[in-house]
Amino acid sequence: MIKPIVDFVGRFGTKIMLDESLIVKRQGRYFLLNKNLKRLASKNFFYAGVYIGKVKDGRFFPSFNLLNFVAREKSNKVIIDKKTEWLFICGRDIFKQGIANVIGSRKKDEYTLVLNSYGECLGFGRILRNLDGKKGGPAVENILDIGDFLRREK
Amino acid sequence: MNVEKTATILQRLQSIGITLERISFLDHGYWVCESNFSVGATSEYLLGLYSIQEAAAQIPVTLFTESEDKTVLDACAAPGGKTVQLADSMRNTGAIIALDIRKQRVTALANQLERCRVKNTVVYFLDARQVSELKASFDRILLDMPCSGNFAADKNWFKRRTINDVKRNAALQREIMTETVKVLNDNGEIVYSTCSLEPEENELNIDWAVRNLSLQVEEINCHGQEALTNVFGKYLDSSIEKCRRIWPGQTQGFFVCKLKRRNAA
Repeated sequence: MIKPIVDFVGRFGTKIMLDESLIVKRQGRYFLLNKNLKRLASKNFFYAGVYIGKVKDGRFFPSFNLLNFVAREKSNKVIIDKKTEWLFICGRDIFKQGIANVIGSRKKDEYTLVLNSYGECLGFGRILRNLDGKKGGPAVENILDIGDFLRREK
Repeated sequence: MNVEKTATILQRLQSIGITLERISFLDHGYWVCESNFSVGATSEYLLGLYSIQEAAAQIPVTLFTESEDKTVLDACAAPGGKTVQLADSMRNTGAIIALDIRKQRVTALANQLERCRVKNTVVYFLDARQVSELKASFDRILLDMPCSGNFAADKNWFKRRTINDVKRNAALQREIMTETVKVLNDNGEIVYSTCSLEPEENELNIDWAVRNLSLQVEEINCHGQEALTNVFGKYLDSSIEKCRRIWPGQTQGFFVCKLKRRNAA
């Protein structure tokens, strides 16, 4: 049941341990519950415990909770400066000069988490060009950022 | 504000030019005195480090005694400001069952829970009057009632509201109280609140609950004045004065009280 989650996490060069018996799938959305919540949550709940993500049209869309789980592991990460943080949460791609540090893969097309200087996960993106290269322009494509909390309310 | 990270968050907000002042009657609430941009669009907000909630509306959750590891019902939960505050005060232990009946508002509630990394809540798209269907009982019940609001929070209030709205809301509030009391554990606590100033939705409803639902009003120590015990020439149970009425001014208008079963210890 959790293959979409495992596959998604794998794209960051890592894996996470999830107790499958505590994961509940409801209308394409995955939730991680604890034993107490599992006892209390009847099958028609709208939201429960920790929202992990959803599958829509065959694609997996992660929640920020899942990204935070991945961020705790040894996974692909770029740490960005303050100005780039603001641009990123406004939906913009990341330029190389805004990246303060890279952890894990630097290869084109790999997924990477995007972290601020406090190590907090702001979202994730796809590496657009080898991060070792000297070429300018966008380096990480914004796929999801926390500004989504504002955009999704509209 | 996230209870465990308050000092760090204050420092961070100050560093980006947001001036805050502690709210004297709250442990974890701050007035935003100055900011050059929306405090609802900072990274810190989007990371769930703090929430934005009217000051008086932050009082009800603080009135529960010890809520960690408890099972709590938030009967009219959306858009979720108090649910997040509850989860924070419970340090994400125990369980919150959060109900609301409007789809769009329930979605907003779910977004708040994800933003603030709440882990202990189950949300149902359910009318609070049908709570018995969940076959659960609760140690704490928050009844932040749907109400008529007040002119301090809505400048068109006098144009939009009629006495019939007030009567309809008061009746709905009684129905919600009647059904939720049935799922209250012995020795459990109810906190009742509205942002209405109408006695029908406040003192008169609590007086009715004391007389008809075997509830008693508990002493609370919070901001506000003693509630009215003489309304429209009618004398109410003297215990009603333990409720708190917050007149508009520094905050919006608000009413809050704590109730327990009469036979509870």
